[in-house]
Amino acid sequence: MGFRSWISVALQLTMATALLVGCSQPAATPDSASPSGANGVTLKMVESITSPQRTALLKDMLAQFEAKNPGIKVDLISPPFEGADQKITQMLMAKEELDVLEVREFNAKQFSMNGFIENLKPYTDKWKNYDQLTDVAKRRATWVDKTPYYIPNGLYQRVLYYRTDWFKEAGIEVPKTWDELLVAAKKLTDPSKNRYGYSFRGGATGWDYALITMWAYNGTEVDPDSAFFMKDGRTLFSTPQSLEAMQYYKQLYKEGSPKDSVSWGFQEMVQGFVAGSTAMLIQDPDVIDGAKEKMQEGTWATAPIPLGPSGVAQQVVGGPGWGMTAYSKHKEEAWKLIAFLSDPEQSTHFAKKTSTIPVVKSAAEDEFYKTGYFQPFIEMSQQPTKFLDVSRPVDYKGWGAWQSTADKDIQSFLLDQLTAEDLLKKWDQYWTKEKAERK
Amino acid sequence: MDTQKPIVMMTKQVVPEGKKSFRISKEGRFIFLCLLPAILFVSVFTYYPLVRGIIMSFQNYTLFDLMNIQFIGLDNFVNVLTSPDFPRVAMNSFYWVFFSLVFQLLFGFMLALMMQKKFRGRGIYQAFLFFPWAMSGFLIGLIWRWMFNAQFGVINDLLLKTGLIDAPISFLADGTWAMAAVIIANIWYGVAFFAIMILAALQSIPEELYEAAAMDGAGRIQQFWRVTLPYIMPTILVTILLRVIWILNFPDIIYAMTNGAPAGSTHIFATYMIDKVIFGQDYGQASAVGVIIVVILMLFTIFYVKATKVEKGGDF
Repeated sequence: MGFRSWISVALQLTMATALLVGCSQPAATPDSASPSGANGVTLKMVESITSPQRTALLKDMLAQFEAKNPGIKVDLISPPFEGADQKITQMLMAKEELDVLEVREFNAKQFSMNGFIENLKPYTDKWKNYDQLTDVAKRRATWVDKTPYYIPNGLYQRVLYYRTDWFKEAGIEVPKTWDELLVAAKKLTDPSKNRYGYSFRGGATGWDYALITMWAYNGTEVDPDSAFFMKDGRTLFSTPQSLEAMQYYKQLYKEGSPKDSVSWGFQEMVQGFVAGSTAMLIQDPDVIDGAKEKMQEGTWATAPIPLGPSGVAQQVVGGPGWGMTAYSKHKEEAWKLIAFLSDPEQSTHFAKKTSTIPVVKSAAEDEFYKTGYFQPFIEMSQQPTKFLDVSRPVDYKGWGAWQSTADKDIQSFLLDQLTAEDLLKKWDQYWTKEKAERK
Repeated sequence: MDTQKPIVMMTKQVVPEGKKSFRISKEGRFIFLCLLPAILFVSVFTYYPLVRGIIMSFQNYTLFDLMNIQFIGLDNFVNVLTSPDFPRVAMNSFYWVFFSLVFQLLFGFMLALMMQKKFRGRGIYQAFLFFPWAMSGFLIGLIWRWMFNAQFGVINDLLLKTGLIDAPISFLADGTWAMAAVIIANIWYGVAFFAIMILAALQSIPEELYEAAAMDGAGRIQQFWRVTLPYIMPTILVTILLRVIWILNFPDIIYAMTNGAPAGSTHIFATYMIDKVIFGQDYGQASAVGVIIVVILMLFTIFYVKATKVEKGGDF
């Protein structure tokens, strides 16, 4: 081969490499150029609920961790929020280099079943801060096979947001039950003024709101560990209380909510409330910052979520957290990082800055949570027999397939294309079959 | 045997000297090396995912149970094709492609004809017209979702202010309106592409053809039908073919505007496939939908190419 040929081959290889490398760079941008720690340990960490502010906060905390542990360096990967969980799943499937990851309650079972994440019990047994976690946080940490697969970093718990000025104007009290909420919603609805009582969610994952209504109607008979079933083994969808709840739910949509809220997702329902179209909203604490920014102080407030006729209210308290990959080569260091981030001081700081409910008991004494908009969250946490934390059956094989049709079914029901009886019958048959196949 | 004779002769003609036939010339090697990056690129990023997708469509590939992946024959296809959602998804896909295409072509043609003429500020006008094509489909979907919103949307506001309606229309709460809304957004997005292609073709028509037609006594309308249209037809045919493929594979706008809602009434094949992955976590069934899309597009392309002899086009 002549000189020109060698040049040609070299050029082709360079081009091919450039093309392949250029096109396969990861979506996230770990700081891989930086050197490893003194002991040569570089931990790879990936977060899921990403936002520029949250990532900056995490980087700040990681810098503190590195300062305290000179031998360890942490590379943070922050994929775009939309699709972050898919990205993490792909990384795990490909056994990409990864030590610490953010696990969500809905993928914890999937990750543990596939052997992707480490059982943290050997570590938590020796960890003095484990007992500092609140009961709800512990349940989130251990809800898969009663095993701690991750340590929650903040809780997403719902409360009722309401317009104090509209309520005062109409001379009505803050609703404490679902019945009172419907009465208030109807009273506050005036389409001619573009005012509606309730920010309804009929769009993506709107089924969750139908479920909290059904749970509240069925009360303590619902199995908290798998809340699509009753304690006696029947499905949630087979009871007369659920039928009543669904009829109520439709009434709330038709008589107290905007018509197009049948397709509203998170953005629209929050926008409806902060822009002055709706008087009430049931949402997570992450709405607080946005509402503070866009609404006048004193025109809105928060309250515990309404109770059902049974006197209780259930919800699934979201609790993402830090877990470790089962194939990590630096498990001791990875646990060190998880323990650092989950330390009561760091954890409370993280919760405050990300507008979530803290996972440690000591935070209840913090002024930040004892007063103002966060107070109802703490109030609810302190009444665990009235405000119950339940789990969805995400560990059933049929969970995914059910989710993909649930929104469609609810929308068909709200648009009078499906009766409440047929809807509940369909779901009852589905989950009865799921349960039978599991045995 | 006599029957073998012609074959031997043919072989001799094609491969004259046995050993030499396997040698690649220096030029051939150079060409191969030049093509190698492209071959590698296409193999890794096009053919591998395609083959992987076809394999997955025959497997019970769900994220929930990655340790138990097996071949399950045609089960995924049977489940998709017998699903009660399938007829509506198929009809929606047809409406989505047909109406988007017809109006994009119509408006694109009109705009290209308008822009062919020189007028003051034509450059700025062209830039504004082509702007939608440069935007992300998902972003367009989000913008139109808010525009069609009954409470805060500009469309209802305009209709109310002009007195055309008395009460806001809940565009995205009604299946028919929602399907019309996503198609309108897609038309807005795709008009620019037709306008660009047709304008390029129009500008390539030699002026002499119009002069000759005028000398033969053809008026403006006759010139359009006898000169303009036949000249740009290959471009239009190729553009239609490309657009059908792209529109059918374009879930972005629907995904951002309605996510298939209300009650699944705006799902097309592409959004239905995404739904199977995101909510159902069922890569097997999603791949089966993907294979169905490929088959539909292949059948359409073969039929279209045969019917229009579009391979002769490409004059743009």
